[in-house]
Amino acid sequence: MSERGRFLLATLCGLVLAGIVHIVIVLAVPRLAENDAYGRLRHTASAEQAELVTVSGSLTWLPRPDPAVAVAACVFDLEDGPLRISAKAGDLFQSLSVHAKGGSVFYAVTDRAAVRGELELVVMTRRQLDEALAEEDEDEPSRDVRIIAPRREGFVIIRVAAPFPSLRAQAEETAKAVSCAVEGSEGVQG
Amino acid sequence: MTAKPLSTAALVVYAFAVALGLGVGSAYWALAGDYPFGGVAGGPWIAWPAVGSREVDPYARSIVTRRADIPLATGEGLVLTAAADSAGRQLDSACTYTVGAVTPQARLWTLTLYDQDGGFVPSELKRSGFTSAEVLRDDAGRFGIVLSRQLQAGNWLKLPDSGAFTLVLRLYETPAALGTGAIDAKTLPTIERGECA
Repeated sequence: MSERGRFLLATLCGLVLAGIVHIVIVLAVPRLAENDAYGRLRHTASAEQAELVTVSGSLTWLPRPDPAVAVAACVFDLEDGPLRISAKAGDLFQSLSVHAKGGSVFYAVTDRAAVRGELELVVMTRRQLDEALAEEDEDEPSRDVRIIAPRREGFVIIRVAAPFPSLRAQAEETAKAVSCAVEGSEGVQG
Repeated sequence: MTAKPLSTAALVVYAFAVALGLGVGSAYWALAGDYPFGGVAGGPWIAWPAVGSREVDPYARSIVTRRADIPLATGEGLVLTAAADSAGRQLDSACTYTVGAVTPQARLWTLTLYDQDGGFVPSELKRSGFTSAEVLRDDAGRFGIVLSRQLQAGNWLKLPDSGAFTLVLRLYETPAALGTGAIDAKTLPTIERGECA
């Protein structure tokens, strides 16, 4: 092979490998990122009550936060059992979203879906759902809203909007009041 | 021909250098800016509805985790970002702007101004944005928000001392988030540039 042909071949190999390197990096970032939202919220994992991410008047790690919205979070690891999220709907706009570690949202609901002022969700793995269904009494099916998590680790985000600055404290109270409790295997039936 | 084995080794090194340089460089470039795919434009505004859904693409996932962002889910609302005015010129804090007069249907919306680094630009009254409840409207329900460095009467947001800035319109609980992703520019506020210093 001529010198030029060998150089072109090497360039071609380099380009193909560059494509592979590019794809590997893009796919690896969500797995390897330590400072993502999950990593920054992880220290709240044992808390049963949602913790505020944004506190009025102070800086937060959240990029471009909405100044009119109080954000609270609960981190979960479904290894210990399903997670029961309970929120009380008030007059303010309130939304709950469930995020998987690695940058994807898999469920969201707003206070419009509240039943008698209560919003209750159970986040579980596919396996925990199968167990819950197997143990369930056929005459008395559970009324829980069950959400299947694509992976065990993730976090719940509660957003409560304060249309006026004077409602900020109320919005923060509402956001903090959301509870995230891990259910034991016997409590799965609800 | 004695140089040939050395030349092969050099070519292998060269190929790996190309692979690492281009691969790492292009990945960094792709993850440093805005989400590369799925952008939906409406006038000066752009939204990425898929970022708040299960169908998020790998680039957007990487960007979300790199920024430590928590995207608004599709069911919660829609985030629209503007970095240019309605004529396509980059937003510059040396100019004055008027934002108005309508927004798409939503239970609540907020309009927030951020400086180049994503920080708030609070006015002396600690205002860095407007909510749909706060904004003053005329009899027809239309509004106009003036953006300038100097204090103005009425709806006014302060611009940073220098540099570019970004406007973010968040529509909470909006039917627009549930649609196919097409946004009608006529339902969105325009960003008209006034005088520049």
